[in-house]
This record gives sequence, structure tokens and C-alpha cells, in this order.
Amino acid sequence: MKIRQHYILTIISIFLLFGCSKDEVEGPLINDIYGFFEITQPLTISNKNPDFSISEVVKFQCEFNKNVDWKISITGIVSGSNTIISGYSNSLDSNVNIWNGNTSQYPFFEQEYCAIELTFLNESDTLRDTIEIMGPQLYTDGFIVADFENGFPQDAFNKPQGGNVQATFVIADDMPLLGDYYFQMGGMINYDWALGKIEFKLDYSSNQISSTPDDFYLNLGILSDTVDLHTGQFVNVLISESDEPFDPDNNGVANIFDSNEEVYKLKLYIDWEGWKLISIRYSDFVATNSTAGVVFERNPNDIKGVRIACQACPSGGANPACPENLDRMVRTDLDHIIFTKNDALFEVITNINNDEWNKN
Amino acid sequence: MHKIYSIIFTIILISSQFNSIAQQEKVWFSGLARSYFVRDANSFENDSTSAKNSSLGYNLIDLNTHINPLKDIEIFAQLRISNEFGSFFGTGTDIVVRQLTAKGVLAKKIKFSIGDLFLKQNKFTLNNNNEELPFFNSGFSSTYRDIIHYENFYLDNRWRLQGLQTNFSYEFDRFIETIEFDFFITRPRGSSSIGNGVTQSDMLLAGGTMKSKIFKNLTFESNYINLFEVTSTGNTGISVRNPVLQGGLTYQNETSNAILKHNIQSGFSKRSWLQFDSLVTNQSIGMFSELSTSYFKIDSSFSFSLGGRYVDPNFRSSGSQTRRIDMREDNNNSIYPNYSNEQISRPITAFDIVTDATIYNQDLSPTLMNFNPMYSNSLPYGAATPNRVGVFTNLDFQTENKFLKLNFNSSYLQEVIGQGSYELRNFLFIYGKSNFNLHEVLNLKKKLIFSLSFINETTKRAGTESEKIDLSSKHLDFSSDIEMLKNIFLQLGLKQVNSSGNEFLTDRIEYGEILTFNKLFFNQKDNLYSIGLKYKFRPKVYMNLQYNWWGTNFNDVNISDFKYQRLLFIFSVKL
Repeated sequence: MKIRQHYILTIISIFLLFGCSKDEVEGPLINDIYGFFEITQPLTISNKNPDFSISEVVKFQCEFNKNVDWKISITGIVSGSNTIISGYSNSLDSNVNIWNGNTSQYPFFEQEYCAIELTFLNESDTLRDTIEIMGPQLYTDGFIVADFENGFPQDAFNKPQGGNVQATFVIADDMPLLGDYYFQMGGMINYDWALGKIEFKLDYSSNQISSTPDDFYLNLGILSDTVDLHTGQFVNVLISESDEPFDPDNNGVANIFDSNEEVYKLKLYIDWEGWKLISIRYSDFVATNSTAGVVFERNPNDIKGVRIACQACPSGGANPACPENLDRMVRTDLDHIIFTKNDALFEVITNINNDEWNKN
Repeated sequence: MHKIYSIIFTIILISSQFNSIAQQEKVWFSGLARSYFVRDANSFENDSTSAKNSSLGYNLIDLNTHINPLKDIEIFAQLRISNEFGSFFGTGTDIVVRQLTAKGVLAKKIKFSIGDLFLKQNKFTLNNNNEELPFFNSGFSSTYRDIIHYENFYLDNRWRLQGLQTNFSYEFDRFIETIEFDFFITRPRGSSSIGNGVTQSDMLLAGGTMKSKIFKNLTFESNYINLFEVTSTGNTGISVRNPVLQGGLTYQNETSNAILKHNIQSGFSKRSWLQFDSLVTNQSIGMFSELSTSYFKIDSSFSFSLGGRYVDPNFRSSGSQTRRIDMREDNNNSIYPNYSNEQISRPITAFDIVTDATIYNQDLSPTLMNFNPMYSNSLPYGAATPNRVGVFTNLDFQTENKFLKLNFNSSYLQEVIGQGSYELRNFLFIYGKSNFNLHEVLNLKKKLIFSLSFINETTKRAGTESEKIDLSSKHLDFSSDIEMLKNIFLQLGLKQVNSSGNEFLTDRIEYGEILTFNKLFFNQKDNLYSIGLKYKFRPKVYMNLQYNWWGTNFNDVNISDFKYQRLLFIFSVKL
């Protein structure tokens, strides 16, 4: 073979190599980091007069020329309530960015005008609009445990601790979260942890709940001290999946929370003033596992009861743990206790402290 | 100082004694001696905090002792005695063992070496790639180059490692002609504490080469290398694994006056980290392939080669991608590491690359090291640079009377996948070097040599305004060696690097994935001018006096320029 033919063959082979380029990208897009930001399609709001009480929703759509951190802020003009929808993308997808009228913090939206503001991290552009809420969200799309609108549930137990001489543990109407009534749960016992508990009998076996524990939420509002905060107060929330009867002895004590039953538990420190809206993923509850042989098969369909116990760090006695709280009232009032599937009603709390389980 | 000279005299005396034994092939000596002195001066106004000038220097002798206790065994030890200027004997004098090797032949068939090894395989498996700015062998910078390469053990693109090596070969009378094997295992890094009770593991490098002459014109070669950490020798719980396998065929056709050679090779690499002995994380698998054709005139008057190469974006080879200079911010220069009244860190520039042996690296790195696109952007990790596809050529020419010597090489490369963009970078690299031995055509008895070289490297990427890249770097080098009197040369030199445009530097996480990109703008000009005298006692025994002016203009009101001068004296003796 002549030299020229050798080289022609080499050149042909080399050009074949150029076919190896791939349509991929290594690393983040430079356009997202350094690119000039531009809104390519303006903000579109699907429903400017939503009635959330009949399950209407508001959908948001917008497109940009690059991926950015964006934030939609919705603020009630009258109530001052506010909710945030945020993400990182190059568009707002109306199938994903949906508002159902809920809020992440108290107070709730009312029948009112709301200011909508779409902002972008590190960009000066802000898009504004307004909507008018024709009917506020009722937060009833779920399994209500107790809303106290018709008094204390008849098959539930209200058990202030003996010695809690200033116990509240009553229905009140002075500052409800939703509706007209809420439940006051507090009091004062300087020498002991427990101030009392309430226990609700439940049965969802006929509801065919398809959600997994990751998609099943306990939602509730908790009202704490507004004047003199007790620094060591908390509530223990217990959910039982026991197959035992709720109160087999008819003695006003729910046996399904005993240590030899399938019980899941969670502890919430109450260190705020006013109402706080809380959603907790059922999978974040911890199996108590205090007795060997109990089988834990967490399943929302099998929930048979909820206990909420009010506790506070003792301030009196021989060796008080929290002497600074002497004679301070404890207040862990409750309203609108409701299970929801697939979506939480409020902001989901995480990083829950599960210490000191024995204090129940 | 007198004592130092006494030691040197004694060593020379002992050497001469042993020379008589050496004649009996028992012990013989070689080595190097160097006297080095520099005085640096700061000559720009915007710096009243740095010293206006400073000086340092040293004397050293590297005594190589070769002991042959048996005909097939050699023990080699390099002992360094060094003494810094301005220090007293005993406090400023260091005596260190710089190299130790034992080598020999077992049963007249198997060669072995233990201790310090200088290893090299294929350019995709184990190869110590050249630094970014070629020294061009020009007179004034080659003095610096000799020191940098010697001090960092850079020998023919080999990595200096410590371990065990063995090789052997067979010849056959049918099917294949010869087959050769070479195996080694080394420890590039020992386990050591890195603080807070954490101990990093031993790092080992093992590999082998198999080369076979299948028949007269066809040769097959395969290389394997694996860089890995031994988890049990540390407590970090994570260890790297980086095996690379290469195979290639070379067809060689010889005529009476020329050789035509074709080579095709390909290979694979895998790099991953092993967590807790079982969990493989951050794994990347890549491949490469290369095809080249070369034509050589047997009289060396002309050669030409042409090739194409594809290196996958995920191809990772610690042995061939480790850089000589890590351009990370904390790799400080030894000469004025900070400058200006704000005492900002002085970046590595052309002068530091040419003169500063301390910024160079001797350790293999399992991850890609930092580079400065101004000095090298198309192939910052040598031929094994990942994410490149393209062609390359090389041409050498010299006249029969050796008056003119030319070297020209170029490459046109493209990224395989975009970095931070769907658009691809395109790289054009052109390198030219010419040596004019004017004394050959002018029939002068004394030498008159001029050398002119250049590099032009451009990087471009299309796309949106934010993605676009347009970087141009030009490197000009001129030097002359004019023999004024017998063996006394006047040396004039100039080196300039100009870079303008923009680029993006990748910021990678610990395990190599790109985290983000940093935007860089260049309008920088590095200068180095030199005048000097060189007296050559012999080609490897010389005395050199130089004066250098050097500095950098950033052409940016926010960054201070700098300007320095240096007086250099070297007396070098290679035994």
C-alpha cells in the first residue's frame, strides 16, 4: 500500500471519531448561573375568584428563560394571613403549582382580597396580581378527630390529672382557631410532670385509606401561653393501632395505649405564644416498643385511637428540674385535630425530638 | 564554609580511592554538585510592605554511590549534603538520603528493582506529562528547567515511585516472535494522621505491561494500572479505586530510507470510592481510543505524524492525568508569595512556572487537579485529558547541515459533551519552534544560535451571551546563545505570554463531580526578559550568571500589576 493510501485511510478513520459527540451536559447549566434572566411568559392565574369552601383551587403558570429559585407569596389584605409556594425551575407548571386556600401560619385566610407576588432569588423582577377569595378554606377534607364545635366527643375521655387543682380541660369560645370553640388543656402541678390527657376513640377500618404512613398526616392547632410561658411544657401524642377494645372495663381508661399494645408516639415541645398550626407525618411517629412481642405494622387503616397528654417540667418538690417555672400555668390548648391523606393541611414539622419517653 | 569545602574535598578523595576499586567493578560514583544564588528585587511602587529585595542560595552535592557486590546486583544510594547560604555548619547543613535502589537479575532471566523507581507506561495509563509552558530548550530557561526537573525527579515523563518492579521476556520460534512482561507495585502515599484522630489509608499503585512482537511488522502492547487505597490501614472508611486498561497494535513498515508506522489503541477506566468495604459510590466509567500514523526519515531529517483521539468525559486515569503543577490557590510561590500594600496572594505566572521548583508536584492524584486556562486549556491533563475528541499533527524538519531545525505541532479538539452548556468548546493549538544555527552557514568557528518559538491556543464556544467562550493565549519565546570567547556565551532571552478573553473554571466536589463554574476574564500579559553569560567547561559543567526582569500586567484597575528583577548565579557540575 502506498504512503498516500495509508494517510487517506487514517484521515477517514479520524473523521469517524467526530461522530462521538454526545448531546449531554456536565455540571449545572451556566445559563442558570450567569445568564440574563427573562420572563418569557407572564404570570397566569387560573381562578381570580376562588371559593375554597367548595374545593376550588388557584393554579399558577409562568415561564422564564432559565432555572431560578422562585417564590409565590400570597397575603390576605384583611387577615394578614400568608402562604408561600416556592421552587427551582424554569417555569411554574399549573399542574403542580396549585393553591387550595390553606395557610402555613395563623391566622387563616378569610373572605377577602389577596395580594399575589412572584419573586426570584438574586433577580430584581417581581410580578404582582390580586385575587378575591369568595369562600375560605374550611380544612375539613380529611378525618376529623375533634373540632369541639359540638362539645367534647361523647366516646372520648377527658382526664385532668389528680392534683391539678387549677386544671382547665374544658371547651372554651374566647379565641378559637376555627369555628366557635376550642379545647383548653392546661393547669398547674408544681411537683409532677403530668397535668392530664384526652383520649379519642377512632375506627378507620371501613374507610379503605390507601395512603402510606408517609402520606398520612395528623394536623392540629395548639395554643400556648400568651402571658407567662412555662418553659418546660410539652404534649405527648400517641396513636394506637391496638386491636383491643377501647375501654373493655368501662372504667374511663383507654387500654389501647398500654405498653403491650401497638402504639406510636411523638413529643412536641410547646414553646411559642398564640396558635401554631402543625402537621405531622404519621411515619415520623416512633414505635414505643416497650414490651417485647408487639408487632408494629403501621397502617392508617388500623388506627383505633389518639391520646394527647399535657406535661410540664416540675418546678417544685425535693429536687425540682425546672424551679424557674414555679406557680406558672401550663397551657397547651387544642383545636381542629384532623387526619388527612396525601396532603398536609399545614406546615409539616420535622426533626422531632423523641427524648424522655417515660414522661407520659 | 571552610568545613563544607573540607567535606567535599574528603568525599572527592574517597571517591578517587574507590575509583581504583571501581576498576574491579565493585564500587563507583557519580553525582551532581551545584552552587546556587539568587537575589530578587521588588521594583514596583504599590508595595511598601514587602521587602525591597531578598537573597538566598545554597551549595549542594548529590553523591551517587553504585555498589556491585555481585556481577548482577547493584545497590544505588544518593546522598545529598546541602548547605544554605548564611547558615552555620551543623545548623544549616542537611544530609539526607535522596534515593535508594537495589536492582539486579535473577537467574540471568528476571530483572528486578526495589526502592526508588522511575516508572512510565502508556500516555493513557502512567505518564508524567510536561508542564504547561515548554522551556523550548532555550539557553536561559534551560538552566532553570534542569533544576526543576532534577529536584522533582522528572525524568523522561516518568513518575518517581517507591516499590518493587520486575520484568522479563521470552523469544519464540513460531506463532509469535517475542513477548515481554513488566510488573510493579508501589506505594505513592503511606498512611498518616490528618488530624482529629483521622488516619488516611495507604495508597498503592500496581500495574503491568505486556508487549509482544507478533511478527516482524506487528506489535501488540497492553498496559494495566490500578491506583487504590487499602481501607484497613486508615480509619476514614472510604477508599479510592482507579483501574485503567489499555491495549494497542502497532504496524511498522520499513523501507531503505524511511519508516511508516500505524498505531491504534483503546482502553477503559473505572474510578469509584468504596465506603465501608462494600458500598461503591461516585463511580465513573470511561474509555479512550487513538489512531495515529507516523512517517520518519531514517536520517532524522524529516518526520510527520497525524492522528485522531477520543477521550470520554468520564475517563479517569490518576497515573496519566496528574499534573506537575496544581494551580490551586494555596499552592504558593516561593518568590514574593504576597504582593502590594494589601498583601494579596500572588498568582502563579509564567516566571514561577519557569523558575520555581517548589510549586511542582510529585504525588499522584486520584482526582483532576486545578489548571489555569491561560497557560494550558486544550490539553491540561496531557493526551489523556478527558472530554476531548479531535485530530493532531506533528512535523519535524532539519536541514542537512543542521543550520535550521523546525518543529511544528498542532491539534484541533472539541469537547465530547458540553460543560454547563449544550454547546461544545473548540480548541485550536498551534506550536512552532525554530532553531537557527547560524555558525553553520556563516562558517564561524564560534557558535551563533538563535531560537524563536511560539504557541497560539484559542478556545471558543458558541451559545448565549452567558455561555460564550472566546479565549486566546499567545506564547512567544526568543533566545540566543552567542559565543563571544571560547566557551563563553552571551545569552539573551525573552518570554511573553498574552492572554485575552473569557473562560469558566470548574469547581468540583471531593469526588470529582462539577459543583459550579467560576467565570474568568483574562487580559493578562506575563513578561520575562533575560541577559546572561554562560561559561561551559563541558556540556554538563557550566557557570551561568543571569539578570532577569519579569512581571505581569493584568490590565485591570482592580488588580495590581507587579514587576520584579532577579540576579542569578549557578555553578553546576554533573559528574
